[in-house]
Amino acid sequence: MTAQPEPMTGQATIDSDLEGTVSPPRDNGAIVFDAPWERRAFGLVLALCRDGQWEWEDFRQQLIVQIAADPERPYWESWAAALETVLSARSALLPVEVDERTDALLARPHGHDHRDDGHGHGHGH
Amino acid sequence: MTADDARAIRVEAVESLLVEKGLVDPAVVDRIVEHYETNVGPLNGAKVVARAWTDPAFRERLLANGTKAVAELGFGGPEGAMIVALENTPEVHNVVVCTLCSCYPWPVLGLPPTWYKSDAYRSRMVAEPRKLLGEMGLEVPTTKKVRVWDSSAEARYLVIPERPPGTDALGVEELAALVSRDSMIGVAVAKVPAP
Repeated sequence: MTAQPEPMTGQATIDSDLEGTVSPPRDNGAIVFDAPWERRAFGLVLALCRDGQWEWEDFRQQLIVQIAADPERPYWESWAAALETVLSARSALLPVEVDERTDALLARPHGHDHRDDGHGHGHGH
Repeated sequence: MTADDARAIRVEAVESLLVEKGLVDPAVVDRIVEHYETNVGPLNGAKVVARAWTDPAFRERLLANGTKAVAELGFGGPEGAMIVALENTPEVHNVVVCTLCSCYPWPVLGLPPTWYKSDAYRSRMVAEPRKLLGEMGLEVPTTKKVRVWDSSAEARYLVIPERPPGTDALGVEELAALVSRDSMIGVAVAKVPAP
C-alpha cells in the first residue's frame, strides 16, 4: 500500500464534486462552530495551509501540544493558541503585536470594558 | 466582558494583522469556512459507505487504500491523507477516537463534533469503550468484539457500518440516507429503513 499524503492544495479536489446540488449545512453535517471567532480561527489556519505557507502537520503538532498543556480548555481555544504559537515561531506575527492590536481593538468606543479584565493571556514576559 | 469575548477580540486582532501583512486574504478565509459548512460533511462519507455496500470491487479498493478510493468519488483535501476504512462485521464493532487531538477524516465526515474533541470522550473510549458506547445509546452484544482505533496523522479511520437487513432493494442514494455520521465514527449503527 502506497498511500501518498495529499497536498494541502486538495481543496480543488473537493470542489470538483460540487457541481449540481450544493447541500445546506444541515444536510451534510452538523454546525460545528458555536461562536463566530471559532469559524475565523479555523478559516485562518486553513487559509495559511492552503497557500502553502504552512504545513498542516506543523500546525497539528502544535495543536496536540496546546491540548495536552490544558486538557480542560475548550477545543477552539487550544486551536487559537496553536495558531498564535505557530505564527510566533515563524516570526510571522509576534505575541507583542497581537497584544497591542488586541488592546487597540478593546479601546474601540463600543462600550467594551477596558484593560481591567480579560487582558491576561499569558504574555510570557 | 466574558472570556469568549476576549478570545474573539484576540482572534480578530490576529486576522487584522495577517491581512495587513498580506499573509491572508479575508475573502479566502470566508470561502474556506463556507465550503466546510456547506459542502464537506458526513453525506460524503455516507456516499462512500453506500458505494462500498453495493460495489464489492470498490469495497476492496476502499479497504486497501481509503484515501485513493474516496478520491474516486471526488473527496480529498486537508485531513484527507491516510484515510483507513474499517469494516464492521457480525464479529467486530469498530469505534474511532483520537487520544492526542482531533484527527478525523474531514473530507468524508466534515469537521468533528464537539464531543469527539472532548477530554472525556478521548480518555473514556480507550478505558471503557462498551460502557461509554452504552451511554451514547449503543449496546454492543457481548458476543461481539469492540475494537477501538486511535486516529492519527498516519491513519484517519472511517468506519463502514454493517449494511442493515432488508435493504437489498434499495438504491445507493436510499442506502446513503441510512448512514449517519455517528455510525461512521462507530458510536452508532446504520439506521434500519422504515418498513
